[in-house]
Amino acid sequence: MNWFHFSWQNFWFSFLALAFEGLPFVLVGSLISGFIAAFVPSRVITRFLPKNRFLATLVSGLLGLIFPVCECGVVPVVRRLLDKGLPFSCGLTYMLASPIVNPLVAISTYAAFRGQHPELNTAVRLVGGYLVAVVVGLSVSRLDPARLLGGKAIPNRSRRRAALSIAAMPDAPDASRDVSAMQRVIGAIQLASDDFIDTAIYFMIGAAVASVFNTAVDQRIMLPLASSPVLSVIAMMLIAGILTLCSTSDAFIAATFTTFPIPARMAFLIFGPMFDFKLLFLYSGLLKKRTVIALGVGLFIIVGVLCIAFLPAIYANLGS
Amino acid sequence: MRTWAAKIFNGITLLGLGGVLIAFFINGRIDQYLHPQFRLWELAGGIGFCVAGAIYLVTKKSMDCCVDGQCIHSNPRSPVRGMLALGVITVPLVAGAVLSKDSYDQQAILNRGFVQDARALPLRNVAKDATAATNPNQPAIPSEALGGDKDESASAPSIEPPLPQDGSGNTASQDTAGQDSKDDSSAQYLPRAEDGNVVLEVSDLLYSQSEESLRKLFTGKTIEVIGQYLPGADKSQFRIVRMFIWCCAADARPISVPVKTQGPVQIADMSWVKVIGQPEFEPNGDHTKVVLKAAQVLPTDPPAEAMLY
Repeated sequence: MNWFHFSWQNFWFSFLALAFEGLPFVLVGSLISGFIAAFVPSRVITRFLPKNRFLATLVSGLLGLIFPVCECGVVPVVRRLLDKGLPFSCGLTYMLASPIVNPLVAISTYAAFRGQHPELNTAVRLVGGYLVAVVVGLSVSRLDPARLLGGKAIPNRSRRRAALSIAAMPDAPDASRDVSAMQRVIGAIQLASDDFIDTAIYFMIGAAVASVFNTAVDQRIMLPLASSPVLSVIAMMLIAGILTLCSTSDAFIAATFTTFPIPARMAFLIFGPMFDFKLLFLYSGLLKKRTVIALGVGLFIIVGVLCIAFLPAIYANLGS
Repeated sequence: MRTWAAKIFNGITLLGLGGVLIAFFINGRIDQYLHPQFRLWELAGGIGFCVAGAIYLVTKKSMDCCVDGQCIHSNPRSPVRGMLALGVITVPLVAGAVLSKDSYDQQAILNRGFVQDARALPLRNVAKDATAATNPNQPAIPSEALGGDKDESASAPSIEPPLPQDGSGNTASQDTAGQDSKDDSSAQYLPRAEDGNVVLEVSDLLYSQSEESLRKLFTGKTIEVIGQYLPGADKSQFRIVRMFIWCCAADARPISVPVKTQGPVQIADMSWVKVIGQPEFEPNGDHTKVVLKAAQVLPTDPPAEAMLY
């Protein structure tokens, strides 16, 4: 097989690099999740959101600006927020938007596209990511979360009812009882550790798969696709899915694909943080498998339509 | 008993993970894997894992993740799940730490495709440049040595310092005498080896393709560059290659410049070489292409940091 050449040397090097870069992010996400569980009463979270379901979903897409969590760590945070009573549509919107609509990603995207209309590309990425996340969130807002969430992530019935009404939620018995601050800190770290272990299993599997694709599969088989406006967008989304990059760093990679048109690179930057190999596994810890597949297909179509039908016109009008 | 066993497995998973991350930082191997801006982050992660693992092992569960009989996590109660976590998270990491050669082989480098255009690389880092003059292992060109004339990416916001002043308030580029003065003063910032050769990195040469100030600075100078040998079409030409990382080795891509020698050289593929010679700049359509005319090609040890960034 000329297109596949596996080498342990290359695999380990890529795998360890991904692990060293990504695992601390997963830990931070888990710690945020643990501390949310231990310290943040659900009424504080729900207070952020308007009572109107539509507006709540719109606001959820912007929570990443004050809760900047990358896609490696967002799943445990969302799982905890769902447990705290966040409506599923809001949780999903936050999960998809947060890795893109956050200040760290804005800075890295701006830096990576220096000399290539950085303001425009940063704005397109953040606004595009936000719109896609909101569209997906609104699409599921009338569906029963129990049909979409994995068994462990389904909030119990009383919580779910309250969540959908976006009312203040009763907290877990342990969270509301009178415990010292130190006990809460220890409890937060224990919960974060459990969150981390749950999440890291999927992350490591994703990193391993991505490392095989990164090092063993001949990358040239994808290059001829670059010349077609449609195929280039599809190809870049596939590459994003395979490369499994972190959203804080992927702009530097996207900027190097200079043979691909800019809408295709935006497809890479919007689709990748929302759905890639590691997220396929990470999402499996939160959502049912069929939900994960439907989410992947839906995102592929929405981002594809955005980048094929709309972005070329936007870039043409804005002179890029 | 089941909870106790799960606690042991999960604690070991976290401690083992933290141990590997801290060990890589302490022994310096992390330098081959991560961009400097992520290395302290990795150490902090390692310490965090160890703290979390220790707390997990020695403290009693103070908060429950189950509400009304529904549990978010299964690993605190399942030894099997704990073993799975240990096997999927920590064991591969330890195995990789033992087995990894901390580098890619030739096949991986070729597979990733060479970055041909410096505009695909991040702009040179001013802070990094500032340390270069005192550290020959760092990429070499201090920004003080340069003007702001990125001639082929004029729309880029400049991160370079202002052009050197000629003493009359005019920038050096505004008259010929000022230009000469600038070139002379710029050259003194170039890091040099003991024999007087200008020490450059492959990335510096690649950047010079799109930066006229660098081309002016390098022209006529004898330079030395370290990289890996990749054979060319014939024995008198090859490419000198370095891997350039954006964030970590997983996103590393090879950069290279062509080298022409006066005669055939006998160097093993992908071995480290020091090339001493003069860069020549040739027009290539709208761009400029650099070719290193080698006077000497010498085997050398790998640099402390094999990756450029």
